[in-house]
Amino acid sequence: MSSTFVPMAETFAVETWWVQIIKGVIIALIGFTLIPAAVTVERKLLGRFQHRYGPNRAGPYGTLQAGADILKLLGKENFRPAASQGFLFYLAPILAVVAAVATFAIVPLGEVVTIFGQPVGLYGIDVGIGPLYVFALGSIAFYGLVLGGFASGSKYSYLGAMRAAAQLISYEVAMGLSLVGVIMITGDLSLVTMVEYQQEHLWFVLLQPVGFLIFVIAAMAETNRAPFDLVEADSEIVAGYMTEYGGGGFASFYAAEYLNMIIAGAIATTVFLGGWAIPFWPDAPAALGPFVVIFKTFLFVFFFVWIRATLPRLRYDQLMSFGWKILLPLATLNALITAVVVVAI
Amino acid sequence: MTEVLFFLSAIVAIAGAVGVIALKNPFNSVLALVVHLVALAMLFLLLHSEFIAAAQVVVYAGAVMVLYVFVSAYVGEEGETWTSGGRLQRALAFLLAGSLGTVLLIAMLGSGLRGLADAGELPTLEAGFGGAAQIGELLLTRYLLAFEAASLLLLAAAVGAVLLARRREDGIAEGPRVLAVTDLVPSAGTGSMTEGTRGTLAARAMEADRLAERVIAERTSAAKKAAEQAEAKDGDGGGA
Repeated sequence: MSSTFVPMAETFAVETWWVQIIKGVIIALIGFTLIPAAVTVERKLLGRFQHRYGPNRAGPYGTLQAGADILKLLGKENFRPAASQGFLFYLAPILAVVAAVATFAIVPLGEVVTIFGQPVGLYGIDVGIGPLYVFALGSIAFYGLVLGGFASGSKYSYLGAMRAAAQLISYEVAMGLSLVGVIMITGDLSLVTMVEYQQEHLWFVLLQPVGFLIFVIAAMAETNRAPFDLVEADSEIVAGYMTEYGGGGFASFYAAEYLNMIIAGAIATTVFLGGWAIPFWPDAPAALGPFVVIFKTFLFVFFFVWIRATLPRLRYDQLMSFGWKILLPLATLNALITAVVVVAI
Repeated sequence: MTEVLFFLSAIVAIAGAVGVIALKNPFNSVLALVVHLVALAMLFLLLHSEFIAAAQVVVYAGAVMVLYVFVSAYVGEEGETWTSGGRLQRALAFLLAGSLGTVLLIAMLGSGLRGLADAGELPTLEAGFGGAAQIGELLLTRYLLAFEAASLLLLAAAVGAVLLARRREDGIAEGPRVLAVTDLVPSAGTGSMTEGTRGTLAARAMEADRLAERVIAERTSAAKKAAEQAEAKDGDGGGA
């Protein structure tokens, strides 16, 4: 293979191939470890918000409850409804979880450090298309939901999938536009470059407050979090696209959902909250990076849970008109004004 | 590695394309088209065009195909398959597809497959080749006219879609009406979130309550007055 002709995964890598493989496994494991952590945080916090204890039996303070639930789900029998389409029914949860884990690879947990004499970037890959990679995998994950809903052969699943399709398309546009301002200021799509820019200058949450707000709101809708959880509104359509799933399939959808929430928080951290940077401590040791990113990410998780405990679910037409008539024009205006300011300065 | 990836995605792309026409169920055909498009994105990646690859997945697999999935899931379950056309239609389809295939084959073989021949001596690529920055620059300099024309066309299509999809209140036979900005604001009393929080609905309900109370009060007082008058009349009658 000539050195001038390398696929994307090799173009931006600083490491040798075996380091990349080890790193990939470790980052996937980090992702899968954060899922039960987020589930536990959500259940405990929701309990507190609603004046109850939340899970408190398995392990100290109920911390092992999520792990026990996962074990229980994986041990259950895999069944499928008679009306479902076998291949697609089993493919859908796999698509959802694979896309979520692949998206997690782009989250920069830290800068390039030297481990045992090998340069290692503390991220899965640093692609030159940054947020576009997230959106591309997001549209793959979307097929997980739609196939799950369609292949189940159930009306509730079908309604959930249709809602998911409309909602994801609507809010993806606003989400993309909310990042345009940041991209114009940085002049680059790479997430690592964005963090480095914020280390040298200001955090983007101060430079792009409107973009930040739009991104967080759209991220809540993209990850089907309350108050935008019409896709799986329990009181109307049971559980939406995952109604007919049990055991491993349900666990996969559930895991993908929580991982998507973590990724939304992590991307918001990276793009708007300075990634692995610690304020007023410019030369913090690089090994702290991953912990800082995970801490900031869980601030977002806390915020998402807080919102879920506070706001009631929107009605469907409110959801659509909010996305198209408020968020989208606001994001466009934000991008326009940023463009003018960037050119003027 | 590159060769393995190339043949893998090429085979998947061709399999997807064959699946589109060979599968009986339209929904499965659409899914095969998605597989084909994702495989094409892989080929773009191998050609260093990561931006195009991402755009391919986001725009085609993510937006256009979603619409196809939507439509075929709604109406396609027991819809037509490719075998249900008339005999003439089928013959015509095979003829047209055959001639298109011939043209493509001539073009491909006419190039002498030079790409395969000098695979070893590819030009060195400049830094940032195929990236978003380079494509953006090309779009706004060399291909500016085509770019602007395409965006104008898309804008016209979007405006047309909005106009066509607009809700008509009194049937289709509606004369031309200018769409005003105020049409975007929902009319009062439709139960929007703002009304719920700002109290418009509550205020209306209270107003209705007050009105009802007033009507009831008026009616009771009128009834009372009538009763009094009747009583007075009775009294008069009794006296006389």
